[in-house]
Formats: sequence, structure tokens, C-alpha cells
Amino acid sequence: MWRLRRQIFSSRDERALPYLLVAPTVAVLVALSIYPLIYSIRVSFQTGVGQRAAWSLGNFARLASDRFFLDALGHTLVYALVALTFEFLLGLGLAVLLNEKLRGRNFFRALLLVPMMLPPVVVGVVWRLMLNPNFGAINGTLKGAGVNTSQLTWTASPKLALASVIMVDIWQWTPFMFLVLLAGLQAIPQEPYEAAVIDGSSRWQTFRHITLPLLKPAILIALLLRTMDLLRVFDQIFILTEGGPGFATETISLYIYRTAFRFSDFGYAAAMSFVLLILTNIISLLYIRLLQRQESA
Amino acid sequence: MHMRLNYVLTAILSLILLTLLAGCGQQQQEGSAKQLTLAVNSGVEGDALKQAARDYEAQTGVHINIAEFPYANLFEKELVDLNARTGAYDLIMLDDPWFPRFAEQQVLTDLKPFYEKRGQSGPDDDFVPNSLALCKHPYGTGALYALPYVGNSQLFFYRKDVFQKHSLKEPATWDEVLAAARLIQERETAGAPGGGKMYGYVMRAAQGNAAVADFMPIFWAFGAEMFDASGKPAVNSAEGVNALRFMLELGKFSPPGYASFNADEVSAHLLQGTAAMSINWPAWISSFNDAAKSKVMGRMEFTIMPGAKSPGRAEIGNWLIAIPRDAKNAEAAFDFLVWATSREQMKQSALRGNPPTRQSIFKDAEMIAKFPAYPAQLRSLENSRPRPRTPLWNEIENSFGIFLSKANSGELSAEEAMNQANAEIAKIIERGK
Repeated sequence: MWRLRRQIFSSRDERALPYLLVAPTVAVLVALSIYPLIYSIRVSFQTGVGQRAAWSLGNFARLASDRFFLDALGHTLVYALVALTFEFLLGLGLAVLLNEKLRGRNFFRALLLVPMMLPPVVVGVVWRLMLNPNFGAINGTLKGAGVNTSQLTWTASPKLALASVIMVDIWQWTPFMFLVLLAGLQAIPQEPYEAAVIDGSSRWQTFRHITLPLLKPAILIALLLRTMDLLRVFDQIFILTEGGPGFATETISLYIYRTAFRFSDFGYAAAMSFVLLILTNIISLLYIRLLQRQESA
Repeated sequence: MHMRLNYVLTAILSLILLTLLAGCGQQQQEGSAKQLTLAVNSGVEGDALKQAARDYEAQTGVHINIAEFPYANLFEKELVDLNARTGAYDLIMLDDPWFPRFAEQQVLTDLKPFYEKRGQSGPDDDFVPNSLALCKHPYGTGALYALPYVGNSQLFFYRKDVFQKHSLKEPATWDEVLAAARLIQERETAGAPGGGKMYGYVMRAAQGNAAVADFMPIFWAFGAEMFDASGKPAVNSAEGVNALRFMLELGKFSPPGYASFNADEVSAHLLQGTAAMSINWPAWISSFNDAAKSKVMGRMEFTIMPGAKSPGRAEIGNWLIAIPRDAKNAEAAFDFLVWATSREQMKQSALRGNPPTRQSIFKDAEMIAKFPAYPAQLRSLENSRPRPRTPLWNEIENSFGIFLSKANSGELSAEEAMNQANAEIAKIIERGK
């Protein structure tokens, strides 16, 4: 048998085989990811379209003086930071709570997942109706409770609009944090807790010195995934406010979309996309560093 | 041994696949003489053309493929496709503000040679001149690259019953509109169905198209122009700032939160009877007489735009049909285009709810009986103005709308908003050079 193999395959064939096996995957990757990536880098260094296209750094230079871009960047960062903080704290609280042996625990766990299962577009439409200052359920309820709602125009108020869209994000995505953190909690072995009980440590001490450190990998993964999602948020805001009123809730993704597909300035849109990509990468690297330090420690 | 067999098998399978693919391509080419591909928007305008395409198919045997997209996607698709020169579409429906961009990029077919082949000099003179002017590049005078299919222009909507009740006459000027809005809001504190408050006016001031569309008639009436004689942006002229100040004044009689209103919110207020006046498009008229939606059946009146310093002029918004430059069947596409915009066919489209672009249909007694607003619509169309004809319109409208919305939401004063808008528009023009 061994001899037969030897006869059929030369050693050159043997060496080529792995490459051949990987080739289809590489081909798909090149076609669907690598080529578009290189192409978009190219486009970002061009201004004008078709025959009028010219090489230039203009798109990147324009970023610094574009007040819309800088505003959108600011909104994106505020949005990500505030939503992440709330989602994390609420998610952690809920995960710890529903990790206890409570009555109806499974019911609440299932119920909590509902917002996350809804398509963001549906969430956007529903909240848009609920937040409508004149016909919406929220102001209707508040009015019933005797609150003066004449100033509460939610998504129409430059002061409240960003807070309103952040609130919707928190409503929808806290369950995700909850889910990941709950899974993390359940993976923690019982022994350290038993030891803590014997040593007579308080609940807070147990949480601070056992739960949190052991949960750190799950926390970092949940934060990493949510951060990446938050920085490129698009759908809910697009439906809820389309970036308005004025420019109050415009995020980078919305501005990139508008620039590319409404104004057909693909070069500038590509340049902005790279800024977003680099930003996301830097933040992700920080998380991954933290995660690795945790593992090696 | 197995290995080698596998190589052979893979090779054979690949060959089969390739042959199949090639076969597909060929089949499409062979059949193409008798088929057209049409890009339409999903909505009442596209539906009418789709229906017409089915009738045409039945009459002539020409197979028509329909590619249907929602409004925003339609523009993207057409832009990408026409620039990539794929020739995927033989006919495209387009909203008139997109036209300067496509015409400037020279991606549409000049229709003149086709008319000449038929021994005609161009389209007949039944088309409303303002509608036909939109199809020429440069505007009104240049070559003809499209035909107008749906003839929208804004109308002024007001509650006939409420006006009568307070002995108000149909507003002819914006000052009269403001006075009526104030009076109605003061007196109709429980005048809406269900005993709620009635607002004097309702407008859309969400950034982008909404705010700009509702503002332009005021802007023009106050004697403002977006560009001065030398083509420089001039929205922050004294007239422009005054027009925005007036809009903010009128906004005091619009429901709270109107700075984020789009069509949905405005239609809700009008249909629920909680607002007395508005600017809107003719497509909405039918919903007021739909018992399932409307609490104001038969009580809405439609007229032309009020004036101020200058006579009132509405924004025109027509749907056009054009043949892309790289259409595979331009000749057959032209036949369909002429057929679909003929008097008989446009009447069908009008019966399906689309305002026509032919004067004869607006004046047709049978049609007026069905659509009582037709005389007002024709007057509005004849006095309408196009949005500034520039390929950069989408971007300009977006920026302008942002600052209008900011002023209406209280973030900026009228003067600040207009100054900042002017600076942004100047930047857009500079970049476009």
C-alpha cells in the first residue's frame, strides 16, 4: 500500500495538496473581502468619479474641516459610551439576579431576551410611534399621570433626541449583555464560593473578589462585541430620527450612507469608513490586550 | 488512485457548471429582442406603470421585466447601474430632482433621433410645459432625455368647514395663512374630533427633503432665491432670513415636535382633524375621502400656494421615464415610452391615482368629476417651480434641510441657520467644481 502511494504521488503532489484544498476558501475570501477592501482603499484616495477621477489626499484632508463629520463622530462616541455603560451595568445586575434561584427565573430569562430577538427596524418603528409627542403611548401615559408633556417632544427635541435613541438601544441590547454575562456566571465553578462561605466573607466581598475576576473574560467579550456594534449603529437611528432633528442624532454610519448613496461621493464615504474602522480596531485591541493580560495572569 | 479520480471528477463538474452558466448568458441574449427591463419605484406611481406594462405585454407580446425598489433604493440602484454601464435597464423611472445628475453624467439617451425616425420633431404640445421642461438638460432649453409620467406639484390644503365657521376666506397670502392659523388655534381649543385641540397649521420640518419641500414655497414667495445671478448661494439674503423667520412664526401654530415631522405625522394630523392647514402633494387627496382613514371626509379643500412679495409658486415634483444610454433595447424602449405617456394610457394612470402631465386630461370633464381638485392641480402645476437644477441637489437639499430643522427645533436662530446653511452650500458647490 505504502509503495503504491509512493508510486502514484510524487512528493511534489503531496506538497501541493494543502494549497489546493485551501484554494477555494482563499478564492472566496479574495473575491468577497480582500478585493473590495483594496478597492475601497483605492477609492478613498480618489476624488471625482468616472473619467474625472483623480488621485488625491483630499478626502482625508476634508475630514478635519467637515463639521458634519466631526459632529457625527462626537455623537457616535457619546452614543457608544453612554449606551455601553448602561447596558453593561443593567445587564450585569440582571445576570447576577437571575443567576440566583428565584421563582419564575426561567420565565424572566426568556422574557428578557425578547427585545434582542426583534429586528432593529421593527424596534425603530415601534419606538418611533411610542415616542410621538402627540399620539404616542409614552406621552399619553405621562399625561395620564399628570405630567406636563408639552416640552417632552423626545426625538424632535435637540436636547432629548440623542438621549431618546440611546434609551432605545439600551432597551434592545441590555439583554445581549445579560445573556453573555449569565453564561459567564454559570461557567464559574462552585468551589471558590463554598470556600468563601466557610471563610465567612460578605456577599459584596464574594462578588468583588470571586465573581468579578472570574467573570472578566465574559465581560470583556460582551463589551468588545457591543462596542463594535455601537460604533457602527445604523438601523434604529435611521428609522427613529434619520439623524435629526437637524443633525442631533446623526452618527458616522448614517453620514457615510448618505455620502455614498445619496450624494454618490464614494471616495469620501470610503475615507470616513476607514476612520471608523481604525477607531474600532484601536478600541478592540485595547479590550483584547486586557483579555490576554487576564489570561496570562 | 482515489485522489486522481477526484481531480478528474472536479474538473468535469466545473466544466458542466461553466457550460450551464454560458448557456444562461446566451439564452438571455437570444430572448432580448422581445423583452424590456423596467426599473420602477414601489408606490402608486410605480404600480400604475407596472400595470401599464402588463397591458402592453398583452397587446404587443413584448415581455417586460419589472425591477421594483423603494424610493431611496431606486436612486442608488439607478446611479450605480447607469455609471457602471451594465445596461441592466431599458427604461427607468426617476424623480425629477435626480434628472440633472443623470443628464450631467450623460448616462441617458437623447430622445430626439427616435422622434426624427418617426418623422416627428418631438413630443406633442399637450404636455404641461413645466413638466416637459424638467426633462430637458439644460433645464427647459436643452436636449430631451425623458418624458414626464406623473405630474405632481404641491397644493395648499385647508379645512373648508373650519374656514367657513370662522368666516375666513381662502388664504391668498402667507400673512393671511398666519392670521387664520392664529385665529383657528385660539378658537378651536376643543374643535378636533374627540374634543381635542386643533392646531392652525401642520408642517414637516424634519431635516432633509421634508423641511426643504415645506419651506421652498414660503422662501420663493418672500422673494428669496437659493442662488444669486452669478450662481453663488444666497439663502442668507434678507429675504431668505425673513422667510425662515416667518416659518418659525408659523411653527408656533404647528403641533409640538414638528421639527421631526415627516409625511406620516403630517398625514396623521390632517386625517385625524387635529390641524387645519398644510402644504402637501396631490397623492394625499384620495386618503381624505377614505372613510377607513379619514375623520374629515369631504371637508378638505385644495388650492394653489399663497403668495407674499412674489406670487405663490409650488414646488414641482414629477416622475419621469428615461432610457439609459446603455439600454440594450433602446428602440423597443422608446416605443413603450411613447405608448405609456400617450393620452389614453396616461388617463389610465390617472384613474389609478396619479396626476397626469397632459393638459387635456386635467381638463377632461369626466376626470374632473372623479378628481375635483384637477383644476387647482393644473393651475398649481402651471405656476410651479422646479427645485434648483443642479446635479448637487441631493447634497444641497440635505444640508439646507439640516439647518432648517435646527432652526425649527430651536437650536439656531433664523439668521444663524441661514448663514450656516449658506456656508455649507458654498462648500458643496466649490467641491462640485
